[in-house]
Amino acid sequence: MKRRIASIVMAGIMTLSLFGCGSATPAATTDTGSATTETKTETTTTETKTETTETAAAATDEPITLNMWCIATESDSNRHAYEAAIAEMAEKYPNITLNWEAFENQSYKTKIKAAVSANEMPDIFFTWSCAFLGDFVDAGKVYCLDDVYPEFASELPENMLGNTTYDGKHYGVPTTMNIVGLFANMDLLGEVGYTEVPGTYEEFIACCDALKEKGIIPFGCAGKETWCVTEYLESVIEKSVGADALNDIFLGRDTWNNAEVGAAVDTFQELVNNGYFDPSGIGLTNDEVKNNFIAGKYAFYMNGTWNCADFASNEEFLPKVKVAEFPVINSDKAKLGQLIGGPSDTLAVAASSPNAEVAAKYAMELGKLICHYGYLDGCGLPAWTPYGDTSAVNPLTQTVAEICANADTFVLFGDTAMSADDANTYLSYVDQVYGCQVNGDQFIEGLAKEIR
Amino acid sequence: MSDNKVKNEKKKRKIEEGLAIFVFLLPGLLLFVSILIAPIAVSVYRSMYDWNGFSEGTFIGFDNYIELFTNGSIKFMNSLKNSLILAFFSVFIQLPLALGLALILGRRESRKERAFLSIFFMPVLISTVVIGQLWLKIYNPDYGILNRFLDAVHLSSWKHVWVGDIKTALGSIIVPTVWQYVGYHMLLMYAGVKGVDIDLREAAMLDGATKWQVDRYVVIPIIKPILRVSVIFAVTGSLKTYDLVRILTEGGPFQSTEVPSTLLENMLFLRNRYGMGSTISVMLILLCFAFALLITAAFREKDV
Amino acid sequence: MESYTLKEENPVIKIIIDVFLVIWAIINLFPIYFMFTFSLKSNEEIFGENIIGLPKEWLWSNYTTALHTGNMGLYFFNSILVTTLAIAISIMAAMMACYAITRIKWRFSRLTNAFFMLGLTIPIQASIVPVYVVMSRAHWLNKYSTLIIPYSAFALSMAILICTGFMSEIPYALDEAARIDGCGLFRTFFTIILPLMKPAVSTVGIYSYLQCWNEFMFANVFISDSAHRTLPVGIKALSGQHTTDWGPIGAALVIATFPTLIVYLFLSRKIQASFIAGAVKG
Repeated sequence: MKRRIASIVMAGIMTLSLFGCGSATPAATTDTGSATTETKTETTTTETKTETTETAAAATDEPITLNMWCIATESDSNRHAYEAAIAEMAEKYPNITLNWEAFENQSYKTKIKAAVSANEMPDIFFTWSCAFLGDFVDAGKVYCLDDVYPEFASELPENMLGNTTYDGKHYGVPTTMNIVGLFANMDLLGEVGYTEVPGTYEEFIACCDALKEKGIIPFGCAGKETWCVTEYLESVIEKSVGADALNDIFLGRDTWNNAEVGAAVDTFQELVNNGYFDPSGIGLTNDEVKNNFIAGKYAFYMNGTWNCADFASNEEFLPKVKVAEFPVINSDKAKLGQLIGGPSDTLAVAASSPNAEVAAKYAMELGKLICHYGYLDGCGLPAWTPYGDTSAVNPLTQTVAEICANADTFVLFGDTAMSADDANTYLSYVDQVYGCQVNGDQFIEGLAKEIR
Repeated sequence: MSDNKVKNEKKKRKIEEGLAIFVFLLPGLLLFVSILIAPIAVSVYRSMYDWNGFSEGTFIGFDNYIELFTNGSIKFMNSLKNSLILAFFSVFIQLPLALGLALILGRRESRKERAFLSIFFMPVLISTVVIGQLWLKIYNPDYGILNRFLDAVHLSSWKHVWVGDIKTALGSIIVPTVWQYVGYHMLLMYAGVKGVDIDLREAAMLDGATKWQVDRYVVIPIIKPILRVSVIFAVTGSLKTYDLVRILTEGGPFQSTEVPSTLLENMLFLRNRYGMGSTISVMLILLCFAFALLITAAFREKDV
Repeated sequence: MESYTLKEENPVIKIIIDVFLVIWAIINLFPIYFMFTFSLKSNEEIFGENIIGLPKEWLWSNYTTALHTGNMGLYFFNSILVTTLAIAISIMAAMMACYAITRIKWRFSRLTNAFFMLGLTIPIQASIVPVYVVMSRAHWLNKYSTLIIPYSAFALSMAILICTGFMSEIPYALDEAARIDGCGLFRTFFTIILPLMKPAVSTVGIYSYLQCWNEFMFANVFISDSAHRTLPVGIKALSGQHTTDWGPIGAALVIATFPTLIVYLFLSRKIQASFIAGAVKG
């Protein structure tokens, strides 16, 4: 069993096409400013290098203290993975003391940005990949991991680093990856005669109609947190225009002014206008929607696969829930295996760290262990090659692993892929689409105008 | 000779006064300038830059200010409008209510009045997180108290997704904000009402004035300075309002309930537009100060 | 007590007022009930099943979670320490500044007062990064004083505003008398004015408390080790990225709020007495 899962995931990883912002961002998009910052990065890293090689050479067993910030708070699903990984690291490196602090997700964004501004980052810090980390890299605040990466290359496939590679250099250690899953309450689907999640779009719509007929709300979606809307919208767009087209747009290689995207947005709005979505959803938070789904109010819930752990730990709910891939809408352009998601949770090392080299190696190993334990806990899929006995992984995560095994292309969540400013513009348009304030044409025109 | 002595005495006095002013102001000024004024200066400087917060910035002069007012997608004017609407309700609903309570409770002095006073102040002491969660439960479209109540009285057509509907979202922020801080202003005004000399009241009553007349013609004019303080707090507080907006609507739907502080935070820490964020904060400070001066002037005019 | 009440008001109006007061009191007490029951429920009850009723299952374990894994005991202590010292510093600085502004006649006293009022207008978000940069250069992070100093600075404006009112109530004849007795300005302040300002302390204290106790922005950014964390940040840290257990958050909020409510009830008599001694004047 364990071998099967491992090989499935490996296969999935291998089929991953090379994607990522690194290859496209700074070089392609930033024009004049980047040249100066680049050279800056260089000098900072070389400086730190000379400094640290001395300390590292002096004594490898000398006690070293490293600081780390992350968002694995007590009630976060990754908490256990962090604790287990850190405990294992402490055993392996008794000379390294790791002081780690966990902060709440939303306020952490403020905290880490302020810390980067003031050059007060800890040695190792949690970050999101692509644009979020990219801004820090641009400013020369992140330590380049190219020196330590080769040592781990056999366990961490190069194509998993696409989101944390900038100008061909590696800056981040991915931990887990997640995709958008279509979660279905099979009890409710059973009421309208379905024993499986519908595989084609026509069937899927027929199923939604049947559900609606019976007075069951097909979709739950938290309108107060726009990222929840993107989980639906991006899947619809991807399955209409194809993964490559969407990737090009997200990464700024192509303009938003794409009539097919407009049409896909209209398709999504049709779902809204047909009354498939809970009308109350627009005023709800994700916590509320998720609880509604568990309570059996909705038939489907499209959200990140990090939910697997939560659903699996609910003994009453687990037998009812299944996870599947969103069906293909336009088979000329898209196909099954084109997914939304990818490695986003990342550890990075501060360029200002006095022990940057030790920290880099430590972060790599720690990332591997967090990935390992996180996968066992069902918090997400491994970005690193899985090892050990994985047969205890919950059935939902196993299904997701199978979906990933057949994956063709991944498109990272739009708001992670885009720069912070663009992402917010994008989210505000998504918000308006969900509220039917703009239609597909206005959506693409507006975004084409406001995003470069 | 004695003339000289007096002069000397005066001079000595002046020196002592100068020294005293310096020493007494020093701790306050030190704190104030280093923690509050210096950052404003930095903000003014940064507002002239296109800067993401960590890289090198580019000097762009007043472009941020121009963009703030001309680029509709920033929604600054709309956010300002929202906080001014809040300020309006705060001044014309919250303050009169607070004043009424302060006057009623200020008239008598008994155990009962003291208990009421303590109770009315309690919402102020409770964390906004709790107040926000409570009102989310009231507004919840499915099981919320408000919609359930409307169902019960057969007014189902009045039901709304209160915080998600563009028509009701702003209102659903205003109601809890206005309610929570009634106690805050009440306590401030109560202090003033209690400060009114009891003899003055008695004299007016002996002249045949009713309690309401005493309040209207004796108490209110005396506590005018406090009313002014309250109005300033209410208006600047409304312009800076933040917590409940974040919890109740997150600025939505469609950014219709965004207020300057949420926009400011988004620019500074979410959108990585530190320069634009600084611009908003400078505008906010200017506006608050302008309103404070206007209010002071308005109260002075009425005194004449 | 009601010696000056000569004309009794219309009993109907009196009843209407009393009824209104009682209703308003219930509305204002409701959040406390809500918070308390909230803290004893599970997510299922909080979202949907039973939002305002008494908990079906009294989950006292939420409190254990908040106290043990959430470490609320330590954060509570930190909050008390930081808030108390911040209030103390701001009151002292405000009293001194007030004395210079209101009781010594000089040309720029009004302007200085207006300058201090500028503090009421500053949005806290805007000052985070500049203050943070300065503090990091000074290696002054992750200490109690990292929060105490900014908090006292932010509480200063309001403290000065309120103190000015109290201080102008004190008759100027006292200063004159002191001067004739050969008392210098410093001695006048410490031996005559300061003792008379006691009533102001509780008023300023309560309004400064409101500013410091729930402050989140500074505490989040400036403090990075959990040993110095304060309550608002600690409570926030109880929620996860994608999953949040709200019960322990409710419990933590009760732990953060109830002690102050109780202290407030004990103090409120004193506070109200202080109001009668000296009113707030703007």
